[in-house]
Amino acid sequence: MALVALLSATALSATTVVGAEAAATQASSSKITNVIYLLGDGMGRTHVTAGRDRYYGASGSLNMERLPVVGQVRTYAVQKNSGQPGDPDFVPEYVTDSASSATAWSSGVKTYNAALGVDAKGTVVPTAMELAHQAGLRTGNVSTAEITDATPAAQMSHVLARGCQGPSYSAASCQVIDVTGGAALPTSDIRVTPVADQIARNGTADVILGGGLSRFDAADEAALKGQGYKVLGSPASQTVATRADLRNARSGKVFGLFNKGNLTISKFKRENPTSPQAAEPTLPELTKKAIGLLDQSTRKNKGFYLQVEGALIDKRSHANDAAQTLEEIKAFDDAVAVAVDFARKDKHTLVIVTADHECAGFGIIEKGTFTNAEAATPPVNADTGNPANNSTPARGANAKDPARSTGPVNGSGSADPKNFAPATFRTADDPASVQDGSPDASLWLTYLSGNHTGQDVPLYAYGPHSSELADSVENTMLFDVVTGALRIQP
Amino acid sequence: MSRTRTLLAAGLAVVVVLVSLGAWWLARDPTPTTDSASAARTSLVGLPAATGEPELASLDTLHPQPGQVVEAAGPFDDRFDLTGLSLTDRAVSGRVLVTSDVSDLLELQVLAGFYDSSGALIGTGRWDYHLDEATASPHDGQTPDEHRVFRIAVPADLAGRAVAAAVGVPVLVNE
Repeated sequence: MALVALLSATALSATTVVGAEAAATQASSSKITNVIYLLGDGMGRTHVTAGRDRYYGASGSLNMERLPVVGQVRTYAVQKNSGQPGDPDFVPEYVTDSASSATAWSSGVKTYNAALGVDAKGTVVPTAMELAHQAGLRTGNVSTAEITDATPAAQMSHVLARGCQGPSYSAASCQVIDVTGGAALPTSDIRVTPVADQIARNGTADVILGGGLSRFDAADEAALKGQGYKVLGSPASQTVATRADLRNARSGKVFGLFNKGNLTISKFKRENPTSPQAAEPTLPELTKKAIGLLDQSTRKNKGFYLQVEGALIDKRSHANDAAQTLEEIKAFDDAVAVAVDFARKDKHTLVIVTADHECAGFGIIEKGTFTNAEAATPPVNADTGNPANNSTPARGANAKDPARSTGPVNGSGSADPKNFAPATFRTADDPASVQDGSPDASLWLTYLSGNHTGQDVPLYAYGPHSSELADSVENTMLFDVVTGALRIQP
Repeated sequence: MSRTRTLLAAGLAVVVVLVSLGAWWLARDPTPTTDSASAARTSLVGLPAATGEPELASLDTLHPQPGQVVEAAGPFDDRFDLTGLSLTDRAVSGRVLVTSDVSDLLELQVLAGFYDSSGALIGTGRWDYHLDEATASPHDGQTPDEHRVFRIAVPADLAGRAVAAAVGVPVLVNE
């Protein structure tokens, strides 16, 4: 009996240890198997608020806002030939573009605007997706832009200039001689090799879904098929992939581009449901399919890394088109819901939702008020030298200029090219009778410019390790968090 | 009894071993280490390096009549309109109106083929637009401009012989 007791105790002890180890392992492998990184290109804090008001009302929340961890991201870039922050030759560039920002989270370095997968001195830096691929994880890249566009390309290519997209090389679009010592690089150098050529041959992403078929040609199709990709549609014949093609892609490596250029604006598809463009898959559909393809891998225990970009938020913000921007925010947020639904069931997935930069100085002004651009005597924006908050405005009392404010630009003032008034939109809180473009609509939206701004951008996260992001972080830190979570640190 | 104890002990030992193996299996790190130096593919097998500026195969198939300026097919023809095409003895010129989404016009190259009086292609010239984001503000702070006016000089060695032209776009990066 003593032996039985001893063995039983041993077994119990072993079981206890195993139980503890299992729990620890679960915590450890639940550390993370998968990372889904979603970004709304150009999506600043106001974009999120405007999307919330529009679709869920003031007291509602977008899906991304329902995630438990909230932080914010500093987005600045650096100038050409700059060192990294802390280096003696560090020279910041306060407003980033999509290329520099995407390189920051993809490769963990600050770089100059227009650079992809290289640091500010032109040195190639590996990307998180390349590291994941090398480590045997499955990888995916989804975008509503051309897949050679800056954000998706930053994970899958290394070029001195984002304009070097293909299908052809040109010196003007590919060379950046002030980063390469004043001399052009040989065209065999990867840094001047068009992005499309790289994507089609380096196998970095197992699942590639988006737009940009015009960037690829017959040689690219052959190269993709040679690596085992199932190519939806045909770059050789310039036949775009279809929703049915996507549905029939059930496993393995998949390359599908659904438009020759960027994917079609969501608002256009909604308003033209019988158009050919309306047959393009939506971003939530692409996201769901990508997750399905990546998760069913035979190498499942190694997990996957998926990047999803809602690109058209930025593109329509550049154009100061709030109506289209709002619908792109909604489409992106619906893709977030797809990712989070998967993560909740999977329990081993970190979901990160953020942006690369803010675009166009999007603003929400109080209903019935006006912007400085509409003012006859706008505030001077200069130090008046007064010791207290008691000065009289240097330009006199602020007043609306009737010549510059002729009604909502998407309503009564739409025909006036010199009208600076806001666009107005009904929200989920408004009575059904309220129309977009009406002064009665609650959401009044304005833009400062047609360009990027230097605002910090929002950050939301869900899943294991997400608490690391409850902070104000550099965009380069996102690389550390992703590679750390997947245990693929360089 | 002794045999029973032996069997029990053996059975428990097996259990301990199996449980330990299971624990090892669960505890192992499934992710192999990475080598950052080799992770980035810096050479692409089977991809010939570009030998120069891009060409348009369509230029070889065209035979414009003297005085004509025609359009040459390229990869981005669904993204722009060419207007105001004209040819003098010195240059071919015109305007590109980018019709697809334009939040930035980053790169544009217009390629012109020049033809003799028999309609034979005798040479080319090109015009480049490049936005240097690091030194220039895109669209000068304004919303995007979809128009670009181009002028491509007739190469000196074709002077007097170039009597027709074709124009196409091999490089266009707009987003």
